[in-house]
Amino acid sequence: MIQEIVIASGKGGTGKTFISSNLSYFLLKNGFNILSVDADVEAPDLLLALGGVKKKIFHEDFYGNIVDIDYSKCIGCGLCEDVCRFNAISIKNGLPRIDYNSCEGFGACMLVCPVKAMSMKKIRRGNIFIAISNENIPIVTGDLDVGERNSGLLVYRLRNIARKYALEKGLNIVVIDAAPGIGCPVVSSIVGANLLIIVIEPTSQSLKGAKRLLNLSKKLGLNIVSIINKYDLNQTFSKKIEKNDELNVIGKIGYDENVVKAYSLMIPFLKLYPEDSVSKNLIKIFYKILSEVKS
Amino acid sequence: MKIIAVGGGKGGTGKTVFAANLSLSFAEKGYKVLLVDLDVDNPCTYTLFKRDLKRVKTISFFKPKLLEDKCTLCGECIKYCPVHALVLIPGKKLLFIKTLCEGCGNCTIVCPEKAIVEDNMVIGYILENRDSNPSIIVGELIPGERKTDEVMRDTLKYGINIGLKDKYDLIILDIPPGTGEGIYNAFKEADMIISITEPTKLGLNDFKKLCKLIGKMSNKKHITIINKYGLKGGIYRELIQFIKKLKIDFYTIPYDEKMMEAYILGQPVIKIYPNTPSSQAIKKITKKIEFILK
Repeated sequence: MIQEIVIASGKGGTGKTFISSNLSYFLLKNGFNILSVDADVEAPDLLLALGGVKKKIFHEDFYGNIVDIDYSKCIGCGLCEDVCRFNAISIKNGLPRIDYNSCEGFGACMLVCPVKAMSMKKIRRGNIFIAISNENIPIVTGDLDVGERNSGLLVYRLRNIARKYALEKGLNIVVIDAAPGIGCPVVSSIVGANLLIIVIEPTSQSLKGAKRLLNLSKKLGLNIVSIINKYDLNQTFSKKIEKNDELNVIGKIGYDENVVKAYSLMIPFLKLYPEDSVSKNLIKIFYKILSEVKS
Repeated sequence: MKIIAVGGGKGGTGKTVFAANLSLSFAEKGYKVLLVDLDVDNPCTYTLFKRDLKRVKTISFFKPKLLEDKCTLCGECIKYCPVHALVLIPGKKLLFIKTLCEGCGNCTIVCPEKAIVEDNMVIGYILENRDSNPSIIVGELIPGERKTDEVMRDTLKYGINIGLKDKYDLIILDIPPGTGEGIYNAFKEADMIISITEPTKLGLNDFKKLCKLIGKMSNKKHITIINKYGLKGGIYRELIQFIKKLKIDFYTIPYDEKMMEAYILGQPVIKIYPNTPSSQAIKKITKKIEFILK
């Protein structure tokens, strides 16, 4: 059975990609057949953290629907404007205009148009590709075109492609790096996963984000563990987080200047600094994660 | 009234900290400032001012309501629901799965029996505290709801209306991480965009994508700030070469432990450590922005 582990945090910049990349590297080195997934489709970085592209093996454009108007048929009645709940249609000079940044392509306007002047067309909104990284890890990356919508749908598609690939290749663990926040793409990233890892910094801003994510994941019925990153920036606050039973803190990692350097070199921290205390803590935590997904 | 948007593709580069400090810095100069937090997934600006917020508006969105006594189980609605939020158990029941519903309303249009009617679900709130300068407006998405862009849009609209009505000099928008549609729409409203980046590999990667987004809007004033400048192991040459190639004006805020300390204490650094290098840099940048906006 494929086990899906997803790494998320309510607040950005807490170290999701740091945990995702090192967990992927750890699992690979421990003999697991793994697949990594970058579900932060508005700012995908996981491939860089795992060494960059060695070989691309799959590519697919991601399309969304938008509505197209045939002005030779349109009589300018304005019914379409009334039914659009996304404010994507406005009447200018007596004719409807579509705001393509707001159109979701659900087609309520098509249903009400009395002269059938509306039709649906597909537009590219991003792409999905699978690459083998220089660390020999297969990575599925979603990349939403700038300014586009439907990121939740893109993540949904991305996870389906990842599952299919994992099944075909007989892989047993999928590591998913989620976007920051708690919105639609995050819901699509975490729903149905076997384990959610929340990455928290010892700041009230980050804890607040973690609690919002916890609130969401309870609604989705997920198994949760948390990791405190850079715990030594505020030890008192870290202790406070550890006392929160619901967050289920399984370990903490100290701040280390070399993290930035490892990223600059595009080498996983665990590989570059195996003797560092951060690496030792990471490994301890990763063994706990393994026992969580196995049980 | 001028609108400044503070963004940055990557999370954790310092958008919120900068937006909060910039707001205070302009307020100290005598400007009437409105800080609008659009990071509705996880709004945090107000934690840096230790001020209570009161709920001023509920944001709701359409949701269908099934009138079971009218429903004939014909299944027409299911054909037109693009996200499969309606499921028919033939001959027995029509099920509505709220978590999947996107609120397009197609079902209410196609139901021949008028058995699906208009209802609302609450997706978020707008909160504010306008007792002192800077005033703060915050949008908040309810966990479990997915309409981030809609909550952002309503919060932005509310903020701009208040700004015009109560004659604010400046609106500062705190934009969430990412490069999607909601962020694009917020940038479009701004007279000036300030992007916050950091000298890291991932920071640069996300900054490149953000610049592509900003490039879609012609003639937008855009300056960038390299935060945490001096961070060990960073990628300075690559980052600055990229910024220069795009001919973007850039400024730096030094990596400064006092700034981190202030953040942990939940205070603007320019308030509690006005003389530390990062505070000095923020004040200098404020002057530059003041000049650019004139």
